[in-house]
Amino acid sequence: MPVRIEKAFQVQQPIDKVWGLLSDPRNVAGCVPGAQITEAVDDRTFKGSVSVKVGPSVTNYKGDVHFERLDAAAHEMELVGRGQDVKGRGSASMKMTGRLRSLPDGGTEVETVAEVNVVGILAQFGGRVIHDVSDIMFGEFTKRFEQQLQQTAAPPAAAVAAEPAAAAPPAPEPEPVNAPAIFLKALRAAVARFFRRLFGGSH
Amino acid sequence: MIAKTSPEIGGLGHSVKRKEDLRLIQGKGTFVDDVRLPEMVYGQVVRSPFAHARIKNVNIENAMALPGVLAVITGKDLEKAGLAWMPTLFHDKQMVLAVDKVLFQAQEVAFVVAEDRYTAADAAELVEVDYEELPVLVDPHRATDPDAPILREDREEKTNHIFHWEVGDRKATDQALEQSPVKARVDAVFQRCHPAPLETCGCVADFNTATGRLTVWLTSQAPHAHRTLFAIVGGIPENNIRVISPDIGGGFGNKVPIYPGYVCAVVASLKLGRPVKWIETRSENLQSTGFARDYHMTAEIGADRDGTVKTLRVKTLADHGAFNAAAQPSKFPAGLFSVCTGSYDFKKAFCEVDGVYTNKAPGGIAYRCSFRVTEAAYLIERAMDVLALQLKVDPAELRLKNFIPSDRFPYQSPLGWNYDSGDYAAAMNRALEIAGYKELRKEQAEKRAKGELMGIGISSFTEIVGAGPAHTFDIAGIKMFDSCEIRVHPTGKAIARFGTKSQGQGHETAFGQIVAQELGIPVADITVEEGDTDTAPYGLGTYASRSTPTAGAAGAMAARKIRDKAKKIAAYLLEASEEDLEWEPGKFSVKGVPGRSKTIQEIAFAAYTNIPPGLEAGLEAVHYYDPPNLTFPFGTYIAVVDIDKGTGEIKTRRFIAVDDCGNIINPMIVEGQIHGGLTEGLGIAFMQLIDYDESGNVQGGNFMDYLVPTAVETPRWETGKTCTPSPHHPFGAKGVGESPNVGSPAAFVNAVVDALAHLGVTHIDMPVTPWKVWQILKQKGVVD
Repeated sequence: MPVRIEKAFQVQQPIDKVWGLLSDPRNVAGCVPGAQITEAVDDRTFKGSVSVKVGPSVTNYKGDVHFERLDAAAHEMELVGRGQDVKGRGSASMKMTGRLRSLPDGGTEVETVAEVNVVGILAQFGGRVIHDVSDIMFGEFTKRFEQQLQQTAAPPAAAVAAEPAAAAPPAPEPEPVNAPAIFLKALRAAVARFFRRLFGGSH
Repeated sequence: MIAKTSPEIGGLGHSVKRKEDLRLIQGKGTFVDDVRLPEMVYGQVVRSPFAHARIKNVNIENAMALPGVLAVITGKDLEKAGLAWMPTLFHDKQMVLAVDKVLFQAQEVAFVVAEDRYTAADAAELVEVDYEELPVLVDPHRATDPDAPILREDREEKTNHIFHWEVGDRKATDQALEQSPVKARVDAVFQRCHPAPLETCGCVADFNTATGRLTVWLTSQAPHAHRTLFAIVGGIPENNIRVISPDIGGGFGNKVPIYPGYVCAVVASLKLGRPVKWIETRSENLQSTGFARDYHMTAEIGADRDGTVKTLRVKTLADHGAFNAAAQPSKFPAGLFSVCTGSYDFKKAFCEVDGVYTNKAPGGIAYRCSFRVTEAAYLIERAMDVLALQLKVDPAELRLKNFIPSDRFPYQSPLGWNYDSGDYAAAMNRALEIAGYKELRKEQAEKRAKGELMGIGISSFTEIVGAGPAHTFDIAGIKMFDSCEIRVHPTGKAIARFGTKSQGQGHETAFGQIVAQELGIPVADITVEEGDTDTAPYGLGTYASRSTPTAGAAGAMAARKIRDKAKKIAAYLLEASEEDLEWEPGKFSVKGVPGRSKTIQEIAFAAYTNIPPGLEAGLEAVHYYDPPNLTFPFGTYIAVVDIDKGTGEIKTRRFIAVDDCGNIINPMIVEGQIHGGLTEGLGIAFMQLIDYDESGNVQGGNFMDYLVPTAVETPRWETGKTCTPSPHHPFGAKGVGESPNVGSPAAFVNAVVDALAHLGVTHIDMPVTPWKVWQILKQKGVVD
């Protein structure tokens, strides 16, 4: 089910530094709960995996991410990701556009629009739960991204292009998305809606 | 007239408390999942996450390696045994386990068997299936587009079109409609919904390798038909198959089809020589088993300016999902949909239906209705309201003006049905009276003037139940009779067995009352049994409100055979000629000789101890009843709703249901049936939809998305009745269980549309949710 997710967040870092981090999927993956980049196919295409655990079932998406557009001057990017669960339990694809904007205070605003299409067991939980899960994941992403921004010096954007075939830095074994917790949070939101229906609808 | 028996006998018309409830409410019933056999193992189905995908490989190694796993059956395994496909009940075939490709999300791909349920569930997760996704077809309107993917590569016809069916005079109808001074049209979707019985489907298959005998405990509404199908498809001699339908926790049509899980459990038991239990989860039930409706309909009424209806034209697109597994035994691809002229005296009518395949679960079962009559009743009742709106006449008046008059029965409908009896105006007038209709309209006008939203919805439905006459109905060639066998024991107690199968309808009580009525044996002394094919006479099962019209009739006929024999015995005992005897429930007396009589109990004892010369011993009879016609119960329902402008929330303030199901066996059970059916109708009208997104993901595959009405949402049902007996049924009864589900959705929707009619609203598709209503209010500028 295609779900459109629009998010924006602000960080207290200059735009070029943010761009440098954000335009390298290896850095981005480090911020996505449960995600990992395993191979750089070329300077625009990467292979990786995302592991999402919903309740008792782990969905381990393997696939690739490709930058359709990477406009350093305009600070805009467009990327397409696609993965299939290794056990054949479903698939997910995403088209995301990101745009950075300098803020008057020297910080940066990151605007993203993602169209996520999930097929399979996860999708059966309905758009509401996917929205809720993505909200929680995105919140976690923003937190980790800010931490990374503070920790790392910005690699120049050119560096990525200069070493296209370089193997991905040995990423730490990713924590699987803290999924029971995420799912429970999402579920709780949905259950709350359910009860509102129940009691809102009383006679 | 039906003789009224004493309360002790408890024949027709007595509200005898349901015998089955004693065990059911104490948790002492036996449902399929309660069956536990020595050495029993458990099955789990591996299902497709994709709506349309090619299967490139199925790897069972990891699953087999898990300790406790006994077998993993794949489509390829079944293919070798010739069992990868099975016939559906409607001239199609469906996959048991997918071989080359899957056609809907949650389709069965493999079957894992393990020592316990947990291991089976874990092992199912370890089965690795390599899929290649294919383009998905979800919208039935796109099924025959040139660029639509062809779903059924197994068929010779390379098209997603399944059938075209039409009935009536197309040319005359087109012409008449063209010339009509008034035309009303409604495009209505009866959404895909699901019966969602409290108990999901399941079975325990036990193949005894020593005797070669297969016993299957099955959630089956039709155990005999299923036994025969197992024999035909599986090649097991029918005498070696015993199907037992134990207590069933609701069926509503969902337990008529044979599902892949049943077949897999049988195959696994044959393979392992151990009993195999398979029980669906709730989501599996909602996502893969028989759905209902999914009819995309257009009705056009041609009428005179004074509101006299003349012509009806109906065009429908039917979404059957991946396989045409419609579980319906009529000869017509759209079942009894051509009863769509309803309660009205149309002169000309034409109806056409096209069925298509999509990447959705197969089924199209009759959810508490006789094969598409719910869709038909909804459509005509909606269309009549659209016409009333257009003519600016009261919907009750319009209906009263156009009803088939009570003196025209039996009535031949323009689309070929012969309605047995009816008095539609009587039911309508009774409902209007209970509702206080005029006062309600006055109140509505006052509220509307104040800007408040209140609506009154009417539905005057005609049902068509009791499948069915041998000339029109069969399952795999087997005619749709039903049966009863009665044995009266020496002490005057009796057992009556039927070919039907109660799933909560109260047969154990009501069917006992039929026998009690005919024989005068107290209902407490009669045991009613159903569901075991080794003991019950052959029958076609319970659905389509057919139990009373068919098996109930067979019960009366079998009892009458016993009474005839009892009369012979009584004549012998009383030393009188048969002609001099008269019957009152429970005894034969010699006419004009007070005190000279023999009770049925004395006669039963004599049947075993003092047999008249030349007569066989015993007091037993069996009867197979082929109904000469269907029965046509009817009624008028009135819903009164209030709508909250701020939230779009709809409150059903009152609901009046006047039903006419002919002579009633047990008024309490009938009322309970009506309450249950109305509650289901409320769910359909306001809450329920099995939806699919464009990738074919089920949206509505669990009880958080597929809502079931609770006591909180359910209004107090106000019931009433009229009585127009069926002229052809042995005791004048008609079916009733489905009427409330068939008749009520239109009443609910008509009420909401009525509340918004002054805003120019003429139709809202179900489920009519607060969100939809709120959007309309916003669009019409009622709220900001």
